[in-house]
Amino acid sequence: MRNLKKWTALGLVAVMSVTTFAGCGNNGGNNGGGDSGELGGELNVAIWDGGQQAGLQQILDDFTAETGVKTNLQVITWDSYWTLLEAGASGGDMPDVFWMHSNEAVKYMSNGILLDITDQVNSSEVLEMDKFPDDLKEMYQYDGKTYALPKDMDTVAIWYNKTMFDEAGIPYPDGSWTWDDFYEIAKQLTKEDGSQYGFAANPSNEQDTWMNIIYTMGGCVLNEEGKSGFDDPKTVEAMEFVDKLIKEVMPPASTMSETGTDVLFNSGKVAMISQGSWMVAPFKENEYIVEHADVARLPKDSETGRSISLYNGLGWAASANTSNPTAAYKLIEWFATKEMQQKQAELGVTMAAYKGVSDAWVNSTTEFNLQPYLDAMEDTVFRPATKSTLAWWNPMVEEFKKVWNGEEEMVTACENVTTMMNEKIAEEAQ
Amino acid sequence: MANPKKGTSQARNEFIWGWLFILPTMIGLIILNIIPIFQTIYQSFFKAGDFGRNNIFVGLQNYITLFKDTEVWQSVLNTFKYAIVEVPFSIAIALVLAVFLNRKIAGRAAYRTIFFLPMVAAPAAIAMVWRWLFNSEFGLLNHMFGVNVEWISNPSIAVFSIAVIGIWSIIGYNMVLFLAGLQEIPRDYYEAADIDGASGVRQFFNITIPLLSPTIFFVTITRVIGGLQVFDLIFMVMDKNNPALYKTQSIVYLFYQNSFVENNKGYGSTIVVLLIVIIMIITVFQMIAQKKWVHYN
Repeated sequence: MRNLKKWTALGLVAVMSVTTFAGCGNNGGNNGGGDSGELGGELNVAIWDGGQQAGLQQILDDFTAETGVKTNLQVITWDSYWTLLEAGASGGDMPDVFWMHSNEAVKYMSNGILLDITDQVNSSEVLEMDKFPDDLKEMYQYDGKTYALPKDMDTVAIWYNKTMFDEAGIPYPDGSWTWDDFYEIAKQLTKEDGSQYGFAANPSNEQDTWMNIIYTMGGCVLNEEGKSGFDDPKTVEAMEFVDKLIKEVMPPASTMSETGTDVLFNSGKVAMISQGSWMVAPFKENEYIVEHADVARLPKDSETGRSISLYNGLGWAASANTSNPTAAYKLIEWFATKEMQQKQAELGVTMAAYKGVSDAWVNSTTEFNLQPYLDAMEDTVFRPATKSTLAWWNPMVEEFKKVWNGEEEMVTACENVTTMMNEKIAEEAQ
Repeated sequence: MANPKKGTSQARNEFIWGWLFILPTMIGLIILNIIPIFQTIYQSFFKAGDFGRNNIFVGLQNYITLFKDTEVWQSVLNTFKYAIVEVPFSIAIALVLAVFLNRKIAGRAAYRTIFFLPMVAAPAAIAMVWRWLFNSEFGLLNHMFGVNVEWISNPSIAVFSIAVIGIWSIIGYNMVLFLAGLQEIPRDYYEAADIDGASGVRQFFNITIPLLSPTIFFVTITRVIGGLQVFDLIFMVMDKNNPALYKTQSIVYLFYQNSFVENNKGYGSTIVVLLIVIIMIITVFQMIAQKKWVHYN
């Protein structure tokens, strides 16, 4: 009897210590298949944009129906996404298939974290690689090898509040406006009592706001030698224009940072914001925006008459350590086929990276006129990137934050950013 | 019973069983806490490469940078400001609540539950709700009081606004610990004091506080450490564009920023080593000071 108690107790202790640590080890891969070329098993897929989840799930379901490979789609917010991916890459437990971004691509490719798909892409019978923009394809190639296939493309346009334009008796923008017109309109839409502002942008709205102004006004973020473009007089001039917008037609920096420009727009506090096409899906869900807002092309430069939009595109990549590389590649290829690119556009997920099928994306939306986003493709600049973009990108945003808060002059900030960027870019070469 | 042989076997038995029972905790502590501490210290002498590969040994370079880095010292100041508000208030309020809820009043269980509820909610969810309460444009606080205060974007008050959230979310936990301590105090002392004609306030200071001092000491030690490690509230409430961020970010926030956003794990480790040192010094002083005011029966 005594012995029985003893063994029971011992058993309990053993169970306790096992269960304490069980949590650490059970999230490993459960993929079948392996290298054999036989499809099957399950793929973990990770993305950061909840707005695209529903549409992508449908495309994934089609994939499962076609190949029998199950998928498990996970959405992780932008900030956590990179923390998790980085930890996964260091610790060896990454999702199988996931999105890549131009900010981080080189780092992941050069360290062998991503699955090399060069041979499969070259010998593929379903891919039409010439249908993708060159900048975008090259962004996901390193040392002559391909690591990801283009997923989508995004451009930038202005969202405006029709009701506020009506109230002020201003005709809706038709895309023929210049930045000077834009400033005048924003000024008229800004009320003295602070109840309404013409425009809103945070320092972190680089790609979707102020970098477009820089390029349209003839400046650049990176010059032809790959160094900082913030010492270019045209860039400084454009940033001075941004400064004028901040001081005269935008809410206080504290309000914009606390509330977020999209919330200020959809609560009727600001008349215009500049946003990337990736925001269309969430905006469609917002009743206020659907009722009051529409889209116009970014203004032109008064001298050159050009309206330049930044563009970027994500890539679908796979982990080099995935236990099911064949299925992972098949899924990446699946997303890049004409049919699925078209389907992605039709479902209103995003514009396609594949040329010529994005009309479906414009037509999928009845709430807004999305044509300006498509028109913006006529004159674009690829989102500036170097080998380790984030090393200078984050400090750049930090520096401009000081201008937004009124702690520093724009000219000084541009000088500081130039020095900082050139230092960081020089470090990359080492 | 005076069988020495049996005695030793029983002693040995207890020794083995004692160790077996603390083994799970010990293993957990060693694997999840102790080993990482030494790894962190080791890492603080390196400049981290991508994905933890190709780390370069840089000796004390990170520490030299740390001492010259005004952002780090500002974050130390911010952290102290937070802790100096959060710790005393959360303890004082919880103590008073515990004393009241230790009496037989109607709805006692309901009140206890209500005050403990914030502990059950996820910190991230709490922070999101408070972020909107504090919002200067649409926030309930400004709306209710008819003021226009920038609670979380005015650099001089933002850190205290965050501390308010901290106090609100930790009161329930402290209260439960105090309640447990209060149950231990024999009723006789209060009855005797009643007969002597001591007022409630006097009883509180002369009976409750001294007899509760071991619990108060425990709560203070853990809250000071917890307060100095504040991260999630700041991370959730403060947007990276926020003008008050520089004067609000805590040491752990800066550690997170360096280690996981900028991927400079070496320097991040250096920052967190500084935090360990600060916490150790403060805890040692508290351990010395306790001899003056903590009464163990």
